[in-house]
Amino acid sequence: MFQVRDVTYRYPRNRKDTIKGISFDIRQGEIFGLLGPSGVGKSTTQKIMVKLLTDYQGEIYYRNKELKNFDKQYYQEIGVGFEVPVHFSKLTADENIHFFKKLYRNQANTDAMMQRLGIYEAKKKKVDEFSKGMKIRLNFVRAVLNNPAVLFLDEPTIGLDPANARTLKTMIKEFRSYGGTVLLSTHLMSDVDELCDRVAFMADGRIAEIDTPQNLKMKYGERKVEVEYDTGNEEATSKVSFDLDTINRNEDFFKLVRNKKIITMHSKETTLDDIFIKITGVEKHD
Amino acid sequence: MTNFFVLLLGEIKRLQRYNILSASAVVALLWIGVLYLTELPDITFIFPMLIYVDATSMAILMVGVTIFFEKQEGSLHTLLVTPISKLDYLLNKSIITVASSVITLTILYLYVVIFKEIDMSFLGLLGAVILVALFHSLVGFLLTYNSRDFTALLINMMKYMFIFMIPVLLEYMQIIQQDIVEAILYIAPTKAAMILLYAPAGETELWEIVYALGYLGIGSIILFIFVLKRFEQFAVSESGV
Repeated sequence: MFQVRDVTYRYPRNRKDTIKGISFDIRQGEIFGLLGPSGVGKSTTQKIMVKLLTDYQGEIYYRNKELKNFDKQYYQEIGVGFEVPVHFSKLTADENIHFFKKLYRNQANTDAMMQRLGIYEAKKKKVDEFSKGMKIRLNFVRAVLNNPAVLFLDEPTIGLDPANARTLKTMIKEFRSYGGTVLLSTHLMSDVDELCDRVAFMADGRIAEIDTPQNLKMKYGERKVEVEYDTGNEEATSKVSFDLDTINRNEDFFKLVRNKKIITMHSKETTLDDIFIKITGVEKHD
Repeated sequence: MTNFFVLLLGEIKRLQRYNILSASAVVALLWIGVLYLTELPDITFIFPMLIYVDATSMAILMVGVTIFFEKQEGSLHTLLVTPISKLDYLLNKSIITVASSVITLTILYLYVVIFKEIDMSFLGLLGAVILVALFHSLVGFLLTYNSRDFTALLINMMKYMFIFMIPVLLEYMQIIQQDIVEAILYIAPTKAAMILLYAPAGETELWEIVYALGYLGIGSIILFIFVLKRFEQFAVSESGV
């Protein structure tokens, strides 16, 4: 769907490049996660791919045609979901959606989507009467009202309660199942784990790592078992970790299990959060 | 319906919902109040001055207000990723602004025709108002591009008023009478605006009309091209993906 080749971008008043020669592909029908701490170039990459920034170096192909050669009709094919509310607050939800819908050739059944997201009953209300969560759900309807082929989503579930976040994630997965392609930018690794087919971690304007979440876990994962046991002293427990792959011949482990009272025993799997921190070095900023 | 007309209808609806149309109506009533309090039966002399203030300052303000509402609410972000061209977007705002000035002119002209005397052709005034409001809507874009928020826009507008609008107004009220100042004021677009607005009274010299038409006509084209080019830069700074 997209081929990004050695793209570099510098904002007009900056001395340094914000994007430093990134390359990646996004395949049709996949959810591709773009991850990284704030300020590493995720938003800039998205802005380039939605043609808000055009004077970049390098090449981007969409359906095998240079992105720069697409005119405004490109927006007929894509949908952009923003993290912040983006509606006319003095108009009703219905008026907002219908205004934007008329700008597109393809028009989705937005009433059905509003129903699923629980905002249909409030569609005659002005958007400034909506809660934050309702505005976020309306953002999603706005993003997909033209039945796009590609969806750019920025933190789509931030500010939603678990039930609505679940519905929205289900709708994103359905979008993929119908052949839709998604570029997802988020800090919520649970969303990434659940939704993304592949992820790219960005650090300092570069792609630091790109792979499936499963492969990344295997690559960066530490397979360990953590055992918490009673030391024998009053109210004192201690924890010790064992390598999962050699545990069957680890005498210390067996000795511990035989001689001590085990309080808890867990296999420790590396999460995407751990990988995020490891790859992006985000702790350095904290 | 083309996207241009979808935008236009949307813009009109928003002007109504955001009470911008009501505010314009209040300003028109204010001008009627001024005309009502004028004791002169023939208001040919002061009518162009009222229209001048409206078509310049209100045009700047209207463009600024609508864009700042869009910025504040984030709706500008989403407009930037729709299949509307920047030409459609800018033309829409200019057309709405010009239309608002034309409506004010019409209301005021009807009032003076019914209750006062005026010796100016409506069509002449109409043409002048269209050009003056168009030029100043484009000035409104430039001031908006260079203003971080609405307060900054008001400050920039005040600067424009003090440098360009008020001196010309004072000249026509004959408070400023020095030849050198009057000559310098020909540099100001507001001088060209005032000349055009007084032209329907029939006492303006032909060369002045040609100068004013040329200034505002060519100026509008140049400004429009510049505003169109700067919109890219503005859009980048406002894009919130």
